[in-house]
Amino acid sequence: MTTARIIDLQLRLLDRQVIDTDGKFVCNVDDLELDVDEQGTPFVTAILVGPRALGPRFSGRLGRWVVAIATRLSEDRSTEPLRIDYRQVTEIGNVVKLARTKAELGVTPLEEWVDSRIIARIPGSGHAPE
Amino acid sequence: MRLSDLIDTPVTGTDGTELGFVIDVRCHQDGPIRGAMQTLRVHSLIVSRTHVGSLLGYERRQQQGPWLIKILVRFLHRHAFIVDWDDVEREGNAFRLRASAQPRPLPE
Repeated sequence: MTTARIIDLQLRLLDRQVIDTDGKFVCNVDDLELDVDEQGTPFVTAILVGPRALGPRFSGRLGRWVVAIATRLSEDRSTEPLRIDYRQVTEIGNVVKLARTKAELGVTPLEEWVDSRIIARIPGSGHAPE
Repeated sequence: MRLSDLIDTPVTGTDGTELGFVIDVRCHQDGPIRGAMQTLRVHSLIVSRTHVGSLLGYERRQQQGPWLIKILVRFLHRHAFIVDWDDVEREGNAFRLRASAQPRPLPE
């Protein structure tokens, strides 16, 4: 009988980097979503990403402002954070590895918008760094 | 429910005395397969009276490292304990230990 792996969520998972299937940085683990099974035991269902996940971790007015600004800038105008389903996670170590590419996940819409609308228009932006 | 909803939640004894607050949530990866891996199921709560140094993890295991930091963090968390999820019940915005609860000190 093998012993179950033990993971302290705050110490081992929160704020870790998330890497896609190509090895590219996607985001950080800003919070975790938990659901409760039939026995009443919570289990991890998703990684929550972005300022709408990070904001509530700040107490007081700062946290509310972070969520409000992120909600205003989001397409869906929802306070619910972007999520990566636990089913996409393939490895939890020093980083969290996923089974999808960053583009498939779509959890960095603001970054993608800035990339396509602003960065792409800067002359020379298409060159790979040397 | 989010992890951040559990962290910092006050924990009280059976008689209502404050024992500390949740500084971490310990999971066992022993649930049903969900995608590529087994589900992380909450097994216990780590409770302490201070957050200072808790993110270093010194208070939870034998750790190679500067002995001075190790001694300092372990001193700060000398009252810390682990309690099983089944041994606590939610009461308002706090967790209350059940009468049958058997909190354990953190491993030396």
